[in-house]
Amino acid sequence: MNTILTVARKEAGLIIRSRQLMVSALFVTVIFSGTATIGSGAEGGASIGALIFMVITVTGIFMSYIFSGQVFLREKTEGTIETLLCTPLSLREIWAGKVVGITLPAYLLALAGTGIIVGIASVVDRGIVLPPAPVVLHVLVVVPAFIAVAAGLLGFVQLLLGMRENQIINMAIIFGVIFSFSLSAGLAGEGVVVGWGTEGVLVAVAAALLALVGWATRFLNRERIVTTIP
Amino acid sequence: MDIITVENLQKAFKGRAVLKDITFSVKKGEVFGFLGPNGAGKTTTMRCMLGLLRPDAGEALVFGENMAVSDRLRGRIGVLLEKDGLSDRLTACENLDYYARLYGVSGRDERVREILEFVGLTERKDSLVGTFSTGMRRKLGIGRAILHNPEVLFLDEPSAGLDPEAQRMVRDLIADLSREEEMTVVVNSHNLDEVQRVCSTVAILHDGRIRAFDTVERLRSGGGAEVRIVLSDRSSAERALAVLSAATGVAAVSREGEEVSARLDGADVPTLVRAMAEAGCAIEEVRKDHRSLEEIYLSVVRQAEGSA
Repeated sequence: MNTILTVARKEAGLIIRSRQLMVSALFVTVIFSGTATIGSGAEGGASIGALIFMVITVTGIFMSYIFSGQVFLREKTEGTIETLLCTPLSLREIWAGKVVGITLPAYLLALAGTGIIVGIASVVDRGIVLPPAPVVLHVLVVVPAFIAVAAGLLGFVQLLLGMRENQIINMAIIFGVIFSFSLSAGLAGEGVVVGWGTEGVLVAVAAALLALVGWATRFLNRERIVTTIP
Repeated sequence: MDIITVENLQKAFKGRAVLKDITFSVKKGEVFGFLGPNGAGKTTTMRCMLGLLRPDAGEALVFGENMAVSDRLRGRIGVLLEKDGLSDRLTACENLDYYARLYGVSGRDERVREILEFVGLTERKDSLVGTFSTGMRRKLGIGRAILHNPEVLFLDEPSAGLDPEAQRMVRDLIADLSREEEMTVVVNSHNLDEVQRVCSTVAILHDGRIRAFDTVERLRSGGGAEVRIVLSDRSSAERALAVLSAATGVAAVSREGEEVSARLDGADVPTLVRAMAEAGCAIEEVRKDHRSLEEIYLSVVRQAEGSA
């Protein structure tokens, strides 16, 4: 556990310290959250609940896409992964540490996005607008879980595949995850009503996906990673 | 006691055989040098030993175990590969601290301080590694590799990109680690001078096969050493030439005035001297010239290329 946290601390620190990356990520967050809130004309708790449900989840997942390139791919392109593979860490510990390292800053940005939505809605509404309780659960549990799922899946693929395959498959994965999430929300009906039931299902789905991706890491091996270093 | 055992190691990539039946062993405290041209299979062999590649046949064991299946075992080795494993975006101190945490080094801060002092980078401890010169990075990389006091150290081209002074520092460091800490060191290198100075045993690899494997001393004094004999007069020299030409274990003989030179291929010098004396040669001086590792290396590589 300590080694996972050591890796996570290093990766999260490097992301946060990278000014250019953080400025870009923050810009995307502000644009996503701000334009969506203003465009929807959200007023009242229920209305921003639906907005947070969609926009913040997608923002968090998108951040995991941006950061995974910095964490998994960069270590591979710089060749430092080979030295890391010679430490006493198991492949799963390395993977898990990096996933946690991506999830933390991506989640912080998702929280910032939530703050922007609540802030704009409060200004428009001329009073503090708070999201309903299930949406708070969504922000506290479902969003970080989906960020971790996306980071875990991307990290797994980036470790497993060569650079060329990664360029194609990463895009497919991230837009696949976002599309699936949006489609599910769309199928649930116009103006998703975020209730305890929806959140319960999402928590279960996120837990199942995390377990699935964690299980898939058994197919990672050192040779595969070393021979796909560019 | 053998710390590393490599037996009948074979590895191919996309049908191309890179390692063809490699066998050698490394004893505790030995400094083992791997020599060979680019593409000979040195890095692939090291990766097999480190458990980064799975052999197609044969095995590469460290401490009697396969590194690929034992995470705990990797805590007993130190590694400096071609890429030094340092993050450009962390300072020297942060890089060392990170690895110290991963290896569970006790007294972490003190050890990091010691290593920085050891590699002469204390004053740059708070500088980002991305701003370091190649030499500084290499020094810090070596510091990182020995941070947790490993029992076996694997170094891939440790002095690549270093200035002569830093190369000397690396050589001294390897010698000290072997002598004082009884650390076993495996060095992949193109730097023949470095290998000759620090390694006790050498394997010369070419086209995936070991072409020579022995102690440096035995390689240098063994097959191929040259003996120069100064005789008192020309007729003695001609007799000596005839004796040496007829002797077994002599690869080539030449004469220049009163001096006769013979390149040995298994013959020992006292036997040859006795034979010349018995033939009535008036010997004034006998000098055995050890071949440098460079000469041995080039001859082995040329021989291998010739037979290919």
